Amino acid sequence: MQVTLTPKKAFKVPVEAEAIKPDNFAGKGKSEIESIALWHGNKEVKLGSLFDVKVEGVDKEGAKIVIEGDASRIKRIGEGMTSGEITINGNVDMHCGAMMSGGKVIVKGDADAWAGREMRGGELVVEGNAGNYLGAGYWGVEKGMRGGVIRVKGDAGDYVGGHMGGGEIIVKGSAGLLPGLNMSGGKIIIEGDVTLPGGEMKNGMIVIKGKVLEMLPSFRFEGTEIIDSLKLKKFTGDLTRGGSGTLYVNIIPEE
Amino acid sequence: MELLIKNGVVYDPLNEICGEKMDICVKDDKIVSKVKSPKVIDADGKLVMPGGVDIHAHIAGGKINAGRLLRPEDGRKGTEPRGKLTRACTGYSVPNTYATGYRYAKMGYTFVMEPATPPLLARHTHEELIDTPILDNAILALLDNNWMTMEYVKSGETKKLAAYVAWMIKAVKAYGVKIVNPGGDEAWGWGKNVNIDDSVPNFDVTPRDIIGSLAEANEMLNLPHSIHIHCNDLGHPGNYETTLKSFDVIKGRSNKNRQVMHATHVQFHSYGGSSWKDFESKVDEIAKYVNVKKHVTIDMGQVMLGDTTTMTADGPLEYGLHTITGRKWTNLDVELETGGGITPFLYSSKVAVNTIQWAIGLELALLIKDPWKIVLTTDHPNGAPFITYPIVISLLMSRQKREEVMANVHKAINKRAILPSIERELDWNDIAIMTRAAPARILGLDRYGKGHLGVGADADVAIYDVSPEEKEAKKIQSALLRAKYTIKGGEIVVKDGEIVAVPEGRTYWVNPEFDGKPTKDMLGDLTGKFEKYYSVNLANYPVQDAYLPHPIEIKTKV
Repeated sequence: MQVTLTPKKAFKVPVEAEAIKPDNFAGKGKSEIESIALWHGNKEVKLGSLFDVKVEGVDKEGAKIVIEGDASRIKRIGEGMTSGEITINGNVDMHCGAMMSGGKVIVKGDADAWAGREMRGGELVVEGNAGNYLGAGYWGVEKGMRGGVIRVKGDAGDYVGGHMGGGEIIVKGSAGLLPGLNMSGGKIIIEGDVTLPGGEMKNGMIVIKGKVLEMLPSFRFEGTEIIDSLKLKKFTGDLTRGGSGTLYVNIIPEE
Repeated sequence: MELLIKNGVVYDPLNEICGEKMDICVKDDKIVSKVKSPKVIDADGKLVMPGGVDIHAHIAGGKINAGRLLRPEDGRKGTEPRGKLTRACTGYSVPNTYATGYRYAKMGYTFVMEPATPPLLARHTHEELIDTPILDNAILALLDNNWMTMEYVKSGETKKLAAYVAWMIKAVKAYGVKIVNPGGDEAWGWGKNVNIDDSVPNFDVTPRDIIGSLAEANEMLNLPHSIHIHCNDLGHPGNYETTLKSFDVIKGRSNKNRQVMHATHVQFHSYGGSSWKDFESKVDEIAKYVNVKKHVTIDMGQVMLGDTTTMTADGPLEYGLHTITGRKWTNLDVELETGGGITPFLYSSKVAVNTIQWAIGLELALLIKDPWKIVLTTDHPNGAPFITYPIVISLLMSRQKREEVMANVHKAINKRAILPSIERELDWNDIAIMTRAAPARILGLDRYGKGHLGVGADADVAIYDVSPEEKEAKKIQSALLRAKYTIKGGEIVVKDGEIVAVPEGRTYWVNPEFDGKPTKDMLGDLTGKFEKYYSVNLANYPVQDAYLPHPIEIKTKV
């Protein structure tokens, strides 16, 4: 079953759309889907008043949702989803795929902050750029992403994989400040440049294939290793936290 | 406005009414003997009790707010949107003020004591209490790690100490004296901690001296409540000996109305063993003492298995917890007065120590024979959030319920706790004492209309939709969590478990009369302290009347 949602206009006030996920749509007809409640700013509205809905086929499970047009003010799409697939043919607002534990989300454009936050499983693909806090934990949460895979084809913002406990994040471009902050498990691969990777990390692995623009002093050099046919420097840390995380870097600033 | 609560099964221990079918009459905000044209509440077959009185729950103030800031993720639990009458609620272990008021009221509670206010931060505490709906309240002022106190303890000038305590209680609009790890916070400023007979760095006094002198000052001022103490050495294996020594410091004293020492959250102070490996319950020793002595009362500080936030003025203890768990932590220092710390904690059923802690709280309630000596608390939120009280009550009332839990926890409970051997089940009269009558009497609030349903008492009444014969734990829990009715000050505030009115609570404070030369001398010393050390001026220190929109002033005389 495939459900296509087309926004009726470009929203100025954000739509809180955690109800847009395959788990909620599976087995439902057009009118049922149109009557699902969403929040638009401080008003509760029906999905049908914000989107044109097209439904093809009916299945009990594994629904596929396609969002056409501008979703750059639609938040929380796919939050908590456990199965099925969502494709967003454009940009998307914050919290896309947050807390998902299964299924797949594909964002064809850019994803704003907190994409894949506290993810437990499944796959999130961002074909454009991702914002800050990709796969991190929301304010105060002691573990961010714990499982699943996030792939970003462009760049990512600051704090990629903050408080990460498991799973894998792969960024093809560069990332900002402090990727892997306080991470305790899982794997982050960044093919471009970053600043201060691995701060307070206790465990897990970070691989930086581009340049490290600034390096924390609290990592111990262990030697070099070949990873993906690149000769990388291996470090252990963050020693300020008694950490035993592994940080592989390619080019670091000279002393 | 008149109410007639008809045919309820009434438990009113302070008036020796134990499960009698009778009517309760309410006129305006008081209990009366008869009414003319009342609104009738049919309470046939339902439990009727005085409104609950919580003797010790951290519900407002700088520490609680720091806890909310440290744990924004806790705010994601327990969210409820605003209703027609109610404000939006958030939080589980560190709920917002609105959630605190509504949840207590739904459980039939109408009075809560905020038990640990740093005097310098009292203004903030009162501000939060203004925003805590429905509940009557009061605060205890932390006065033990205070430089003025310790200097007077050292010099033996107890009259000046009494003058200082009187001035402080009046200045910050507090109800009584709180002691937390006496000397420990001052030592913590130097990275150390102290036990009962250690010398506090730079002050040359021991915790024993501080406890004894503050108790003497407290009794000299004739305060309605005794000293309220969190003993030294909290949470450490083998600490029961310190606890008993602390109780013993003032064993010769007495007061005709009440105890002379209330020791709080004694669960955290009843540990045997020499390390975490042989950690065990020593409730038998604590109960043996409390059962025969008259000068001390205690509250449970029950731990419930699950996630919560620990917060106390005991700074070194919180740092110790943080080093064990590696979880986030924050520390507070309040100038010359006190300190504190906060860290999240998960009491796990898979961990031997946590399981034994859970057992110890229940053992205290079951092995102490006289329910007037032990109050039900969880030291909210340290042992568990207050919202778990109905579960604690069902555990005390049902041996079967306890067995169900014990079957699914760490097996150490069978060897190193006493609970598996205890058959006792409490009845509704015991529960009414432990949750209403005893805390009211221990706080001295029974004389001001709290904790009972006699003529002239405050019309604070809880009506629960449960038969007094009910044994099933689940039914007891759901009835206690959502009262059929809660009446506060003669107004129905909860009906069928929902909030139907949100009056503002009143704040009880004590105005101890103590003048003359000691006060004059003390003010000279105090002025010096403010000029030399405090970051505020003496004139700006006292809490203005505007911070207590509904004050109840209690005057005491020497």
